Amino acid sequence: MREVYIIGAGMTQFGKHPAKSLRSLGLEACLNALRDASVKPKEIQAGYCGNALAPALQGETGVGQNVFWEVGISGIPIVNMENACASGSTALREGWMAVAGGFHDMVIIAGVEKTVMPKGTMLNVGGGELETQLGDVFPGYFSLIAQKHMEKYGTTREQLAKVSVKNHFNGTLNPYAQFQKLLTIEEVLNSPMIADPLTLYSCCPNSDGAAALILCSREKTRNINGRPVRIAASVLTTGTYDNQRDITGWEVEQRAAQTAYQMASLGPEDMDVVEVHDAFTISEIVHYEGLGLCPPGEGGRLIDEGATELSGRIPVNPSGGLLSKGHPVGASGVAQVVEIVWQLRGEAGKRQLTNPRIGLAQIMGGNKEGDTRACTVHILIKD
Amino acid sequence: MDQSWELVQEGLFDYPLADRQRPALLANRCNKCGKTFFPKRNLCPDCFEDGNLEDILLDKRGIIYASTVVHVTSPVGIKAPYAYGYVEIPKNQVRIFALFTGSNPLSFIPGQEVELLVETVRENNRGQKIIGYKFKLIS
Ligand SMILES: [Zn+2]
Repeated sequence: MREVYIIGAGMTQFGKHPAKSLRSLGLEACLNALRDASVKPKEIQAGYCGNALAPALQGETGVGQNVFWEVGISGIPIVNMENACASGSTALREGWMAVAGGFHDMVIIAGVEKTVMPKGTMLNVGGGELETQLGDVFPGYFSLIAQKHMEKYGTTREQLAKVSVKNHFNGTLNPYAQFQKLLTIEEVLNSPMIADPLTLYSCCPNSDGAAALILCSREKTRNINGRPVRIAASVLTTGTYDNQRDITGWEVEQRAAQTAYQMASLGPEDMDVVEVHDAFTISEIVHYEGLGLCPPGEGGRLIDEGATELSGRIPVNPSGGLLSKGHPVGASGVAQVVEIVWQLRGEAGKRQLTNPRIGLAQIMGGNKEGDTRACTVHILIKD
Repeated sequence: MDQSWELVQEGLFDYPLADRQRPALLANRCNKCGKTFFPKRNLCPDCFEDGNLEDILLDKRGIIYASTVVHVTSPVGIKAPYAYGYVEIPKNQVRIFALFTGSNPLSFIPGQEVELLVETVRENNRGQKIIGYKFKLIS
């Protein structure tokens, strides 16, 4: 297997972009990444595009071909990836495999999505699933996890709220974030109840946005005056749908994390910066535990201690996370990696951490039978 | 020709019920490893073709494993507030996703005993009743 490097990273601001199409958002992100890498479209040998909802929401398929053609990339293999919230990170993994396996020397990854809906509507996703037909909604499923976590470990509503407060603070330091607004614990707890115990500010917003990365082989990095970041691990797992499992943790995530740490010959204690899938406040707490940043059940304590703040032992979601930066579903997994790249290069502006060298990005996608369909973990190193 | 109701999904339960027939969820069970599946599966994922799946009826009694109250109307049109969660069926060693029904959606707590009902979940935009299953507290 060859070593694979990220030499370009770019994204759009996340938020409400009613006037911009998927193509124009994708174009902006891809151009930013190409310029960042000082690479021309004709040098790209394959393209991988993550998008989850365009067929359902915009009636658009083949988003990858549409977006890449906007920047002038065509003729080469282009693949569209759909793995719900992990669509973008799955595209990254496909691109990584192609370069690691020696099939291509330089590839582009994009994640693109538009999910901002008219006020008051919820995304009607997964309408073919029995649970959805019986009224299951994403915040509801995560509220069940929160209830069990609170029951088993004594995690509190205040601890959950602190995740949102932290991530909104980080978001105010990130010009790409949808929300530029500080929140207090009281404001999170007193915002409208969505699915008990999760309130409005415990849930990520719907967002429009795009993110892109340029990957290449070690040899190709020699001709480039960039600041390459190495992909030390790239892992994709699928749920086992064990219907009697303890829902306070995701085995699919623990397995992905363990595999990634092995692949990188590193452990959770080596991580300097982490981006996780905080679609809901409880998710971030469970991901602390699933990634081994703390033992099972101690996620609430970790946030209480401030360990995951920008100034903490292991900063999590310096970008503001999905809660504050926003969640354009298929773009989020790519945007997390963009943030890690910027942090490792020292280009993260006001939220820049002190000399981070190793970072991890985790995201999962899609509920099925009370489990998760897909989970990815990527570990990046600035050598 | 348009009937007044539709099933939320085929094959979950018998409907309409025959005279004196009690509502029950239709499941199947692998005769090799003993695992129970609801909704029914075509193959046991562990035993593949070494196991045969036998049809069974799930016990109507369950225990709430987890519960929540949703305060926003669901995209499929179930009006808020409504309660749902997971119900363990101890007799069949299976956990299922289910709506809860009763006058107070806040009254469902893990550990409580519940019982199966087959009833209307919502109406579709043609005015048909969508028939599904729910659990109510055993008083
Ligand atoms: Zn079996």
